[in-house]
Amino acid sequence: MNPVIETKNLSKWYGNVLGLSDVFLQISSGITGLLGPNGAGKSTLLSLITGQIKPSIGSVSLLGERIRNNYPLLARIGYCPERDSFYEEMTGWQYLTGLLKLGHFSSSQIESLAEKALDIVELVEDKHRVIRSYSQGMRQRLKFAQAIAHNPEVLILDEPLNGLDPLGKRKLISLIKSYRQKEKTVLVSSHVLPEIEALTQQIILIHQGKIFAQGDIHYIRDLLETHPHKISIRCSHPRKMASEFIHKPYVLKVSFGTSQDSLIVETNNRDGLFSIIPSLSVKNNIQIDEITSPDDNLQAVFDYLVGK
Amino acid sequence: MSIKERGYTHWDGKLKESRFPWWPISRLGIRLTFKKKFFKFFFFLSLSPALAYLVGIYVSERMEEFRFMVQESVSFLQINPNYFKSYLTGDFLYFMIILILVFAASGLISDDLRHNSLQLYFSRPLKKRDYFMGKSSVIVFFLFILTMIPSLVLFLMKLIFSGSFKFFSTYPWLPLSIIGYSLLLTVFFSFYALFLSSLSPNRRYVAVLILGFYFFSDILFGIFKGIFHSHYFSLLSIKSNLQQVGALFFQQKTPYEISWVFSLLVLLGVCVLSALVLRKKVQGVRIIK
Repeated sequence: MNPVIETKNLSKWYGNVLGLSDVFLQISSGITGLLGPNGAGKSTLLSLITGQIKPSIGSVSLLGERIRNNYPLLARIGYCPERDSFYEEMTGWQYLTGLLKLGHFSSSQIESLAEKALDIVELVEDKHRVIRSYSQGMRQRLKFAQAIAHNPEVLILDEPLNGLDPLGKRKLISLIKSYRQKEKTVLVSSHVLPEIEALTQQIILIHQGKIFAQGDIHYIRDLLETHPHKISIRCSHPRKMASEFIHKPYVLKVSFGTSQDSLIVETNNRDGLFSIIPSLSVKNNIQIDEITSPDDNLQAVFDYLVGK
Repeated sequence: MSIKERGYTHWDGKLKESRFPWWPISRLGIRLTFKKKFFKFFFFLSLSPALAYLVGIYVSERMEEFRFMVQESVSFLQINPNYFKSYLTGDFLYFMIILILVFAASGLISDDLRHNSLQLYFSRPLKKRDYFMGKSSVIVFFLFILTMIPSLVLFLMKLIFSGSFKFFSTYPWLPLSIIGYSLLLTVFFSFYALFLSSLSPNRRYVAVLILGFYFFSDILFGIFKGIFHSHYFSLLSIKSNLQQVGALFFQQKTPYEISWVFSLLVLLGVCVLSALVLRKKVQGVRIIK
């Protein structure tokens, strides 16, 4: 099996400014989150993947074909740009059908595809209203509709959740997630960590034009052996438990949580720590209520990788 | 198999390509132009010179009946290549072309810049060449209606009113001249208008530029000619250059005492410069350095 999106040695300079440096990526089906702060190079990478800008060095292939100047291939991609791209005086229907016309569909196909896309994003009732009168959420959904209308195999979404209220975000997140079931490839960029976490576990971390990490969020976290893992344990006798832990060489720090029944252990060997917890619990008759890893999330990984 | 292990199976089929991918852009551009306020009035007004020239051809064929009306204008009513040249190089026609460009062309690219639509266009199976074809064909549509079509109709009406092919056998090259010069006008004004339209995301500003460049070039020519009494300054004027080359197409004496080659080079230079600027300005992703 080949990766759906593949970049090799991809670099882009804007004059003397580095946009992207030496990016090797292999992206498979499903949803992949592209995460990085503003100015990290996310939009540059997406523009290169959609063939809109020419790489300074390297290559991008999509579905096994080079994307640059491969115009028919663009029919298999749906792209949702970050910025609003609307003719405000057009209706949602005119906007969508107008863009579908560029995709070489027949008139009857255009109507049915537009109707279906508007139905998916729940804009059927508002399709004849001018875009100027649309709310931010409706605009984002219309932008998403134009990306999915031609039933593409690959969806590239640049900050699709920007400016949405929580309800709008939830709707769009569930819409994007539905594409996982359809076995499509979705690449979503965002600088907001919880948004990506809500969408996928597959992430690409990008910062200052470089890829810091790629893969499953938990897997990436596990790779960072040098960075201590924090494990929070809620139990009946946290101090007793702590006294047992401090004898272990891979336990680096033990502290107590704000509540009386929890302790936080920092370790550089998470598996080792997890393996002794059951025996300690039995030996000391300590009831374990909960074990969590507070830094096993995207924020912690991201902060660590970008050196915060 | 977990979703992350899935790739794709290569498909060897042929992707569908349209023969005229630019057509939806043209159609939309033409439709939007006709929706503009006052456009229809100016559009029909721009056809009035063609109507006047048609009446001229009719009167010239019925000179005896209309002699009381024409009196001193007999020389004007001699139907020859100069008659067609005077239609296609007339000040009023140029003015109407500029006015039509203000309506039809000012927003062609600038509206796309204003609405950030270029990245949507270029994320579709659409080449940059198709985009330019679509945009320029809007201008071509309107300018052909103003130049080539009426001129050919005038030629045809001359044959019909005279009831013989004598005019055609005398000037067999004239239809080609009409087509050639109309093409030159259309190509030049397409580049001119698209170039200016790509300079700003504000359509009104572009409209001012379309009018301004045309008249300013002519005013500049007038000022320098007045001071230095040299015909070479006609090269500064868009109108004069077009008239110089027009005279060549219709095998007439050039209005200024300089070679038409210079004028042709100036017009070509404007087209090349416009093409270079358009290539740079029209990008799916706008790069801010």
